[in-house]
Amino acid sequence: MNFFDLKGLLQPLGAVKQLGKKPHTINYPYETKRTADRYRGLHYNDLEVCIGCGNCSTICQNAAIDMINIDGITAKNGDSGLRPRVDNGRCCWCALCVEVCPTGSLSLTKDYIYVTPDANAFLWTPGVSNPDAKNNISFTSDTNLSLSMYQRVPMRELDGMERVKSFAEVVLGYSEEEARAEAQRCISCGLCSNVCPDHMHIPEYINAIAQGNDNDALKIIYDNNPFPEMCGKVCTRRCEDVCAIQVRGEAVAIRWLKRYATETAPTAQKIKDIVNPIIAEPNGKTVGIIGAGPAGLTAAYYLALRGFDVTIYEAQSYAGGMTMFGIPKYRFPLDSVKKQVEYMESIGVKIKYNTKVGRDISFEEMHTAYDAIFVGIGFQKAWTLGIENEDIPGCIAAVDYLNIINRGDSFDVGKKVAVIGGGNVAIDGARVSARYGAEVTILYRRRISEMPADWEEIEGAEHEGVHIAIQTIPTRIIKGENGKVSGIEYLKAEMIADENGGRPRPVAIEGSETILECDTVIGAIGQEADYSWLPESFKAKIEIKRGMMIVTNEFNQTGDPKVFAGGDAVNKTADAISAIADGYMAVKGISKFLLGN
Amino acid sequence: MDNLQIENNILETIKTAFKVEGKVVREKRVEITAHKQLISSILLFAKNQHNYIHLNHITCVDWIEDGEFEINYIIWSPTTKNTLIIKTRISRENAQMENIDNIWDQANTYEREMREMYGIEFPGLIGEHEFILEDWDEMPPMRRDFDTLEYATKTFYQRPGREDAKDVREELTKQSGEEIPEFAKKYSREK
Amino acid sequence: MEKETTLYIGPQHPGITGNMMVKLKVTGDTISSASTHVGYLHRAFEKLIERRNWLQSFTILCRFCVPEPDPMELTYARAVEEIEGREVPERAEYIRTIVMELARIQSFMLWYGGQSGSSGLYLVGQWSVGDRNYILDLFEDLTGGRVYHMYIWPGGVRRDLPEGWKDKALKTMDYLEKRLDEYDKLMFDSTIFQKRAQGVGIIPKDKAIEWGVVGAPLRGTGIKHDVRIDEPYCAYDKLNFIVPTQEGGDVWARALVRRQEIRQSISIIRQALDKMPAGEFYNKIPNPMKWSIPAGSAWVKTESVRGEVGFYVESDGSNKPRRVHVKGAAYTHGVTVLEKILVGQNIADVSFILNSLGVCPPEIER
Repeated sequence: MNFFDLKGLLQPLGAVKQLGKKPHTINYPYETKRTADRYRGLHYNDLEVCIGCGNCSTICQNAAIDMINIDGITAKNGDSGLRPRVDNGRCCWCALCVEVCPTGSLSLTKDYIYVTPDANAFLWTPGVSNPDAKNNISFTSDTNLSLSMYQRVPMRELDGMERVKSFAEVVLGYSEEEARAEAQRCISCGLCSNVCPDHMHIPEYINAIAQGNDNDALKIIYDNNPFPEMCGKVCTRRCEDVCAIQVRGEAVAIRWLKRYATETAPTAQKIKDIVNPIIAEPNGKTVGIIGAGPAGLTAAYYLALRGFDVTIYEAQSYAGGMTMFGIPKYRFPLDSVKKQVEYMESIGVKIKYNTKVGRDISFEEMHTAYDAIFVGIGFQKAWTLGIENEDIPGCIAAVDYLNIINRGDSFDVGKKVAVIGGGNVAIDGARVSARYGAEVTILYRRRISEMPADWEEIEGAEHEGVHIAIQTIPTRIIKGENGKVSGIEYLKAEMIADENGGRPRPVAIEGSETILECDTVIGAIGQEADYSWLPESFKAKIEIKRGMMIVTNEFNQTGDPKVFAGGDAVNKTADAISAIADGYMAVKGISKFLLGN
Repeated sequence: MDNLQIENNILETIKTAFKVEGKVVREKRVEITAHKQLISSILLFAKNQHNYIHLNHITCVDWIEDGEFEINYIIWSPTTKNTLIIKTRISRENAQMENIDNIWDQANTYEREMREMYGIEFPGLIGEHEFILEDWDEMPPMRRDFDTLEYATKTFYQRPGREDAKDVREELTKQSGEEIPEFAKKYSREK
Repeated sequence: MEKETTLYIGPQHPGITGNMMVKLKVTGDTISSASTHVGYLHRAFEKLIERRNWLQSFTILCRFCVPEPDPMELTYARAVEEIEGREVPERAEYIRTIVMELARIQSFMLWYGGQSGSSGLYLVGQWSVGDRNYILDLFEDLTGGRVYHMYIWPGGVRRDLPEGWKDKALKTMDYLEKRLDEYDKLMFDSTIFQKRAQGVGIIPKDKAIEWGVVGAPLRGTGIKHDVRIDEPYCAYDKLNFIVPTQEGGDVWARALVRRQEIRQSISIIRQALDKMPAGEFYNKIPNPMKWSIPAGSAWVKTESVRGEVGFYVESDGSNKPRRVHVKGAAYTHGVTVLEKILVGQNIADVSFILNSLGVCPPEIER
């Protein structure tokens, strides 16, 4: 090649032929660039769908997302009331916030031009500052693409037809591997803790399980719940109803994870070893507790830890209250309660069995003997059905029935059983009867969707062959020739919309009388408390309204400052976890009352 | 395994020659752990006897909990297309490692960076002490005990206007009155 | 005898490939010694990653190199997958291959601009950078981003190919192939370029590997080494392509290698689009906040335009990386190799040689 290489000099001139061709650059008149269908532009947040879990803020590695209070959004169950605000000066449009948004409220739009001379104006709240952007959404996540894990690790259970043969526990529990996988789904927002009556530290113990530190998980659980095994099996778990994952998928199995953590400590000694509670020096104060149910035991446990001298008076020969004999064994084996009571006794809780306040010891006596009293009596008396022939043989209240069966005694239900009610107790009665080979029908006034029982329980009952007759109102029990129950008559009902906006009411259809043949009628329409132990002299101070004890502050103190109360007789939710929460709050109250802290 | 013949051979050769531990990680990856005094001999042996003439990489990992730095020499042979990873551990206290830039010139760059970022001295290493950082008087920044967040907070100021940001978990506990015990807080949501 | 003076080129010199400085000792126009100085864009990425979880890290990693961010994403993803033992669906492997090759092409287009611009032929750069936008359009449709795609992550890719993307990609490839001939006329046929490139910045063949030369500069010395062949990843072992080499080791040889490689890339994309199987594109990772990787380490290499990119990733079993150490080709090319081959060269050729080595300063200081 020499310097005057003609080809090498002329070839580049070929570029001249591009003259006159349509340019590839900007067109005139100016056209805005079309952005791609999945363009990652500015944020948009659907404020109605957003629950303020803050997962976007957590994943943002640029710390560009703040969670803030905004006007018009208030906190409620399952919504922290906070909404994300984006610092667009920090955002790098990686869209990980969209990928991890459990509800799918957050998305990126096709808008990418945002010009302002005011540097502070780059800080704005998606959905509030750009409401119109909802028509321009591009980068979104659906449940398949999202990094939230919407599928629950399935819980292994006994097969329906296998279950009815025995009282073996139906739910088999998570294996270690399953528990770790399930715990990984949690996004640690804490919406669950907020609705838990006891405010258990759910994100923390789940995270401990996820990281493989089961002991720490158990320790965290025992921080404010001494009955985790029971809660791990039969809790009403309102936490799962508000789980952030539940918005688009299946809630994290909080209850089963708690159960898993408690199963790592099979004996009372093991619990003590793991939890290794710090027991304060005796402070010389004494507390008397009426009733060894969840509320009473909880109060006793934490009071004992704080150095109080605690004595529980229990009318029955066992501790645990409703949880001991009110829950069928296939849901909650008796050993569980025994183990936990044993653990509590080991740290210094004293329980006097077969000692009924008002019979074996008077309330006045207790009142003088102790510095403070906690009343956790629960509901022991079942409501009567209020229909004809209710007192004949073959007719029994569900709580009594469960009690008899759980104690190991027998009760012949015959071949056909009718259960009246729609709560967990009704389902328990039905499923227990099914285990004795009976053909069971549940009579419920409203629709299945309105049954207060857990959906898992309803489903479990149906799998076990229990028939549910909805919109039925029992009118009388039919007495057979032998003087026993031979059937039940009921009216069909239709649902009439409530004019005041309440839920529809069942109204009997005239002339729709139907007779269901049965050998046993189990009533499960509710229970109430028995206040015969409370002397009249105290009733002026300790107020009782509509069967409930009235407490005057968050510490569950009654009108008598020395007396605290909790459990079913106090709170309206009437479940074990609320009772535990009451007990726990009363401990704080008693400490404050007696020690001033 | 037959298909790992080359890998096993080289592993055995070095094991016999230097009495060191090692394993075949996978196809084309052989890993050897050696005492720091053996490193230059192994590198020279691999380079001269087995044609590992390409220095791929030198990396340092801070195992602060063991009080040690791990230095990995990654070399590659164009004949077998195999990679040999030679690992060694040195103490974090007065960290010192042999200079190997006489074996590969480019090791000089790696060593200067490690000197600056981890504070490892390489006696005889030529090159300015300031390579990447400028006027740095803190501890070598890649050491794990150097807290970048703390440094950033101390050195820079936050743009005002974001003080109203709330932590969701904290906000919720305020709403409910929940008290998270101290020992459980390490399991709370990371920030 | 002329006096030796010191000359600083960079960090803001337009001919330098980024924020770095070359300190030269020159006698007349001839360089007698050179040394690289960095420190103008250290962002402590590797340190920042130690505070971030395994998923968050990938949004930082792509920022190591602006002209070609995708190999960083891929190498990190592969390293994590290797330590964790995570399978990647076959379709994802093909999509990754296409993304890698598209990234190579668009990076070549930038290189056209840099290489020709530093020899005074500005028109090629204007064309190629303009045409590069068609590839960025493809990226935008596929990933939602134009330059930083944040698309390849551990387990696969983030989204499937959008509808109609395949046809659009094929059309773009046809267009680019035609345009390449026109670039040739302006650049490779041009006497100016030939005169400037030939015999300049020679890397000796017998020293190349020992010096740590990789990628196109290595193949420019006649040594056939390409990670895509030597240690195939993605779907490269299922596709046919050749690894071009040239003898000479000078800027001209390196340019010719790249000229051929860009055509190979187009061919690879066509094959991959054709052979791509249907099915899953992502093996989903668990909740990123709680996603821990078992303890272990991996050294993974990927072929980028500039040469091989290696990631050393170490996990201590937690949800954050213990160490991610990135080795880009520039770490050797931009420092020791450059310092050696600049000796005896003309000052005017510094940026020309830098471009031919594909030095990307962010790879030296990360």
